[in-house]
Amino acid sequence: MDVMTLRPRPTPPSAFRPPSFAGRLHDARTATAVGRWLGAAFAVCFVTGLVSHYLQHPPDWAAGRLPSRPVWGYRLTQGLHVATGLAAIVLLLVKLWTVYPRLFVWPPVRSWRHALERLSVAVLVAAALFQVLTGLLNIVEWYPWPFSFVPVHFAVAWIATGSILLHLAVKAPEIRAHWGRRSEGTLALPAEDVRDRRSLLLGTGAAVAAVTVTTVGQAFTPLKALDLLAPRHPDHGPQGLPVNRTAAAAGVSASGLAAWRLEVTGPRPYTLTLAALRAMPRAAARLPIACVEGWSVDAHWEGVPVRELVERAGGRPGRDGVRVVSMETAGAYRVTEMGADYAGDPLSLLALTLNGQVLSLDHGFPARIIVPNRPGVLQTKWVHRLEVL
Amino acid sequence: MRTAGTARYALGGLGVLLIGIGVRLVVAEPDPAGVLLWLAGALVLHDGILAPLVLAVGLLLVGRRHRGTLRGALVVAGGLVLVTLPLLVRPGEPPNPSALPLPYGRNLAIVLAVVAAGTTARVLVRRRRERAQRDDGDAEGAGGAGDGGAGGGRGDGDD
Ligand code: HEM
Repeated sequence: MDVMTLRPRPTPPSAFRPPSFAGRLHDARTATAVGRWLGAAFAVCFVTGLVSHYLQHPPDWAAGRLPSRPVWGYRLTQGLHVATGLAAIVLLLVKLWTVYPRLFVWPPVRSWRHALERLSVAVLVAAALFQVLTGLLNIVEWYPWPFSFVPVHFAVAWIATGSILLHLAVKAPEIRAHWGRRSEGTLALPAEDVRDRRSLLLGTGAAVAAVTVTTVGQAFTPLKALDLLAPRHPDHGPQGLPVNRTAAAAGVSASGLAAWRLEVTGPRPYTLTLAALRAMPRAAARLPIACVEGWSVDAHWEGVPVRELVERAGGRPGRDGVRVVSMETAGAYRVTEMGADYAGDPLSLLALTLNGQVLSLDHGFPARIIVPNRPGVLQTKWVHRLEVL
Repeated sequence: MRTAGTARYALGGLGVLLIGIGVRLVVAEPDPAGVLLWLAGALVLHDGILAPLVLAVGLLLVGRRHRGTLRGALVVAGGLVLVTLPLLVRPGEPPNPSALPLPYGRNLAIVLAVVAAGTTARVLVRRRRERAQRDDGDAEGAGGAGDGGAGGGRGDGDD
């Protein structure tokens, strides 16, 4: 926001005059009315983002205790993260439009305090734009930057959230004075703007609604008929279910699976052929695949409960965690671990079928993990080894 | 008053703390300069290109009848275009057939057509209402929603 901060002279040189803004609604009431929705959206993004982060990277003390319920937990939080983030794009741009003239205040810097305040606003605006931009590009699988998305989006989320809190502290008196329609500061603004402001807010709300309705169907499947502009659609994919990583991308091929065996280690290790695994007592579960990228779909899975496999290896279901090893040749998620709550949940399956059909190769044939309340990247496919921990 | 002041400083302090956490995380990245470049780039792109563009479009609306409705329509259309743009301009093939599976150009055109139709309907309804009220000698103002040039030099607009 504050490139002008760097301009050294105290009065405008004749060759340069900051632009003047005759337009309306660049006022504190409009900024407050849009800003509180924007603030709420960023708060939702930050909290749901932290949920996603700590479900994937729990601190050691929590790793064994992550809850496997509610079944739809991660589906909700990550769906909300992306939907709210997309709505925040509209809110952020309207908010920045409202305060844009302040970029050109003259003199650009009045005091140290003023300079610091402007710097903090610059940090806020840069971090906020950065978050929605990187998020938006990430969900369309476009990574044009020289860094890796997850850790940097995580880092800048702290900067964005921190600078919002700082901004709220700095602006507290102004916010309070313009909070309500009858607040003192609001009433001091030109009365003829009231109707115009309402119209702008209405337009902003309509834009948020339009963006949401045309994209949220990628996670909220009752609205999938209106999913016209989202990067995913619940019905598009092998066996009617999207995938994020294909077998080809993971270096898994049908021929490589000819000698497949499931190895289970623990106090009483054993090995199963596919036929032997299929002959074990099976269970069915309706569980969502909920991707970190915000899309999610419920599906019907059938397979052997992880707790049965653990028990047969001499482990204690509900008390022992499990390490899962995939056949994929490389990738950050080749080996994953699940805590005791996941491994002991009767809904947690080493799945063999999806919606009544044998798993396709892209969905993890011959066997994959499906567990409630977990990010999709941890629903390991092409499983060939389980280690009771 | 005292407690409010304390709470305000505590909030600001907490903000600075979170910023510090984030900065440490960025610095620990292999390429912090790359992150900085993208942060600054986002700022310049918005303040230098997107915002002036939006203001220029807003100028086209100054003094027009039904300005509020038109502005709302442009905000809606702008938001829709922005979230769809990366899908349309992204280079290369999607990583797999279930990623980006929809005909986004066509779908965006459909959605924008719906926005245009809704806007036209709204303008027509308002016009009719204004005509009915013309006897009151208050044709424009009664339409509500800040339409028209009543505000005078509204030198800028919106998306
Ligand atoms: C258009 C807006 C946004 C989109 C589409 C988006 C998308 C995403 C995605 C896809 C992830 C999952 C990354 C992964 O685990 O692979 C994520 C994580 C995250 N997001 Fe966002 N995001 C957006 C805005 C925001 C905002 C505004 C904030 C916070 C202020 C935020 C904070 C986070 C955090 C803390 C994480 C966790 C990162 C981690 O796992 O380490 N996001 N976001």
